[in-house]
Amino acid sequence: MINPSIDLKGRRILAVDDDRINLRIIGGILRHEGYEISEAASGEQALDLYSSFQPNLVLLDVMMPGIDGFTTCRTLKKTYGDKCAPVIFVTAKSEADDVVMGFDAGGVDYLTKPFRPKEVVARIRTHLSNQQLVEQQKLLVNQLSKANADKDRFLGMCAHDLRNPLSSIRGLAELMDEDAVGVLTTEQHEIIQTIHGASQSMLQLVNELLDVATIEGGHLKLEKYPTSITEIVERSVHLSNMEAAKKDSKVEMLRLDGDPMVDVDRNKMRQVVDNVISNAIKYSPKGSVVTVAIHADGGVAGFAVKDEGPGIPENERHMLFKDFGRLSAKPTGGEKSTGLGLAICRKIVEAHKGTIVVNNLPAGGAEFVVSVPLFK
Amino acid sequence: MNFSGSILLVDDEAHIRKFISLLLRHLGIAKIFEAKNGKEALEVYQRESPDLVMLDVNMPVMDGIETLRALKQLNPDAVIVMLTSLANRQTIDEAVALGAANYIRKDAPPEDIGRALAETIDACFESEDEEPPAP
Repeated sequence: MINPSIDLKGRRILAVDDDRINLRIIGGILRHEGYEISEAASGEQALDLYSSFQPNLVLLDVMMPGIDGFTTCRTLKKTYGDKCAPVIFVTAKSEADDVVMGFDAGGVDYLTKPFRPKEVVARIRTHLSNQQLVEQQKLLVNQLSKANADKDRFLGMCAHDLRNPLSSIRGLAELMDEDAVGVLTTEQHEIIQTIHGASQSMLQLVNELLDVATIEGGHLKLEKYPTSITEIVERSVHLSNMEAAKKDSKVEMLRLDGDPMVDVDRNKMRQVVDNVISNAIKYSPKGSVVTVAIHADGGVAGFAVKDEGPGIPENERHMLFKDFGRLSAKPTGGEKSTGLGLAICRKIVEAHKGTIVVNNLPAGGAEFVVSVPLFK
Repeated sequence: MNFSGSILLVDDEAHIRKFISLLLRHLGIAKIFEAKNGKEALEVYQRESPDLVMLDVNMPVMDGIETLRALKQLNPDAVIVMLTSLANRQTIDEAVALGAANYIRKDAPPEDIGRALAETIDACFESEDEEPPAP
């Protein structure tokens, strides 16, 4: 832990002792090490000096007239909280009780009189180094979280500015493909479909990056309304069947007798349902049947999606819900994957205080189960 | 879509105007006017009296909300649909409070944009007892 290369010269130490000789001895040892020393002859004086001197460490005698060392330490800790410099007690007695009381008062260590200079120097060096490392770490954490926030903001701005042009490209290509500006040749159709496909997958990536930036930046705001989970899933199943039909697959839905209500952000929840179902289609062989079952039990309701794909390899399971956690399985119909979809789903579901889990089915395939609290 | 009226499309981005106007033509709407900011929109509105306005929210010179206010002042019955890129609940609520008929996400696929527009037209023109806009 102690890095001898850390330069501690000039660090400020407040030495507090009513015994002038002791102060002179310890002051001499520490000045020799290059520290800046300020001396106080009582607890009261130490409390006064602390705020102007701003020490990096306090050496505090326990037995003093007026307020004693323990009380002084408690007052310092109470006044300066986490920012208070570490306090090392100096005591003539080395009884265990005293030491324990010192730790209770907020001290980090103790030194016994008479001093052994090497011990004094080594212990002080240890605590000053620790303190410096903690400061450096705090600074680093601050810098990193600022850099991360900048990154999220940049990502958000970037994605935001890319969206409109991309959706125009996609929309114009789609309209041209529908012969909206005149009948195209077969080759022109192929080209315009390529433009459409490329802009579509780029738009999806941009949207997902924007989602991640929004969620990571703490800007995910849920607009929750009591909602029928059946209704949300129904709509998604209907739309997904159009995608599935392209692979001769289909999506079947199993309803419940009742109509369980959940308190959710409809758009966000739709996004989750769409994503999980589209994954099921994407990773199942052509001609598969994907089953979506509504469930409601034990205070939660949701849906479970069973596919006929390869299942989730145990050694890849931990990556499944992580950002860019693409697994070894490949889409079976040449579809695209950004590796962000399930990470976003997890974040949305967790923001609803719900869960998303995956089970491998004994007969093959995987089952994704999403549950959110029932609306009461 | 059973709509024979005219539409004023307001957006500062040329590619959006190109895309939406092509979509409108594809949907059978023949009379389309375009404006690239709120100021232009007011001029065109007064000159052409379109039946419906599709109005972008974020624009230079004069933004969507300001334009919406001005249009409603000119004609309290004006049918105005806001064009948004990200669903910003606050802006949408403000627009609805100011009398916007609906909002449409312009980054949606053409099909969704067409559907949202058709819904608005059904609600604003066919449910009323007054005669539909002149062909």
